[in-house]
Amino acid sequence: MALVLWGLFGVDMNVWLDAFLRLQLIVIVMTVTVMALIYVERKFVGRIQMRLGPMRTGPYGTLQSVADAVKLLTKEDLRPATADFWLFELAPYVTFVPVFMTLLALPFMEDWGVRDLQLGLFYIVAVSGVTVIGYIMAGWASDNKYALLGAVRSAAQLISYEIPLILAVLAVSMVAGSLNLNDIILQQDTIPNALLQPLPFLILLTATLAELSRRPFDIPIGESEVVGGPWVEYSGIRWSIIFALTEYAGLWGMAVLGSLVFLGGWEFPFGTSGFWGDFDFLYQMALVFAKSSFLILTMMLISATFPRLRIDQLMAFCWKILLPFGFLQIVINGIVLMYLDSEVTRDIALFATSGALLVAMAYVTYLATRQPSREARVAAMVAARSIQ
Amino acid sequence: MIGVLKSLTATMGTFMRKPVTIQYPTEHRKVPERERAFPILLWDFNIDEPFCTGCHACERACPVECMTVTMRDNPLFAEGKSKRRKIIDEFYIDYGRCMRCNICVEVCNFDAIAMNNTWSGHELSTVDRKELILDLDQLLDLSKRKDLQAWDPAAETRASTEGRPQPPIAQVGATEDAPAAGEPLTVAERSAEEQDSPPTP
Repeated sequence: MALVLWGLFGVDMNVWLDAFLRLQLIVIVMTVTVMALIYVERKFVGRIQMRLGPMRTGPYGTLQSVADAVKLLTKEDLRPATADFWLFELAPYVTFVPVFMTLLALPFMEDWGVRDLQLGLFYIVAVSGVTVIGYIMAGWASDNKYALLGAVRSAAQLISYEIPLILAVLAVSMVAGSLNLNDIILQQDTIPNALLQPLPFLILLTATLAELSRRPFDIPIGESEVVGGPWVEYSGIRWSIIFALTEYAGLWGMAVLGSLVFLGGWEFPFGTSGFWGDFDFLYQMALVFAKSSFLILTMMLISATFPRLRIDQLMAFCWKILLPFGFLQIVINGIVLMYLDSEVTRDIALFATSGALLVAMAYVTYLATRQPSREARVAAMVAARSIQ
Repeated sequence: MIGVLKSLTATMGTFMRKPVTIQYPTEHRKVPERERAFPILLWDFNIDEPFCTGCHACERACPVECMTVTMRDNPLFAEGKSKRRKIIDEFYIDYGRCMRCNICVEVCNFDAIAMNNTWSGHELSTVDRKELILDLDQLLDLSKRKDLQAWDPAAETRASTEGRPQPPIAQVGATEDAPAAGEPLTVAERSAEEQDSPPTP
């Protein structure tokens, strides 16, 4: 075991064996993380609602996820008689595999990912967009009009929010001058990107919530109203692949990505050259863990706080607010990076412009929420006409 | 926009608060003293016999006819130890039938029956509904173990009206030494009274 780990952390070995072992490690860590995240979310949201959350299974309910996994694995795997066999059976995997593929490019420690890709950020953005196809497949194959409706809604939402997400990530890669995640992290040794680029950071948080169909943006899922959108007809293990694995592995992946790209990953407060020599990777792991946990808890807090948006509000927020400001940020970044050579003035200019844009975006959103609804305006017009 | 931050702090605030959940089967909330679960019989510790004389008053008053009562001569009366000529012989209450209306307690002339005001009156689930028909021993058990919560309505009145102007006590038909406040003596008060004056042989 020690030998294997040593091999993973530097010693040469067969490329295929190396990749296989790294994948195995990722799979194990991902499964454990997903179970832990489900438990953490239930506990956290429970405490927010002044409940205890799961308490019965194991000490303080810690084995709840294990019990749930056993239940889901042993449940009957139903398939409607009129469903399209192959599409129906494959859709969960098509939703899950892209999420898993994003994990392969993430450098969890310095020079330790499954693969260090030169265009890692580009790869992640490209791959995570494929999930939509799984949603559409599930909705179409279920032979259920509600599933199809849910699939179309979720496709609309996912494709819309993909764009601000890309713009946010692009703005950061402009600042870093690289699409390689390792480079982006190494560049943040003194100031994390979240400070230089607060607006893209916020856009990334928002778009991540929407991409994962989490609470303020869970219109396609809507457990209580449209009973799960594209996967009304799924049950048992297939449902748990879609729901638990995809959602929470995606949450984990996006949180790690955010902590690497925006919070400085394992580089930011103390630099890469740690204090423990060969065992620096432990400290780097702890740092990434702490930062991604912070992001995950923030997202859970947001999910637990805000009510669901209406679909027109959701779309308007993406297309009319996030997207223009994302473009604006990129244009301004371009100007700043083009004309400011000194690093200090450049950083100050980046922070100032992005902060100003953030305030402007908040103000525009505030104005939009204060505007009377279309129905109210129409009613006012009708009333004015009838008086005449 | 400030509302967004405010709502986030609000949820964080509730996160910091202590959960209100009580883990019920292992942890019990206190039952109020006036809790009315199911009727049980009371034990007279002074003479070591039930208060109940088997007078059938409760059985006749019971709207759902869940009680079965039989009476016998009291051997302790013959020995001169008790004032009760008759004593309960057999008493069955079908808890599956009882609707917890409290009428049996109100009609009892000897205050021999009371409503169970502990959790044991609620956690009664059984696998067979025959087990819900309780016999005399089971009905007396709680009182014999002194597990019943004593309650004193006068104390509650005192607590709630403390420091406030008192309403006039005098009511129609009330005399100085026998206040007709409409509240009979409680179980606790009565047993205390009887301890003061032991029964005359």
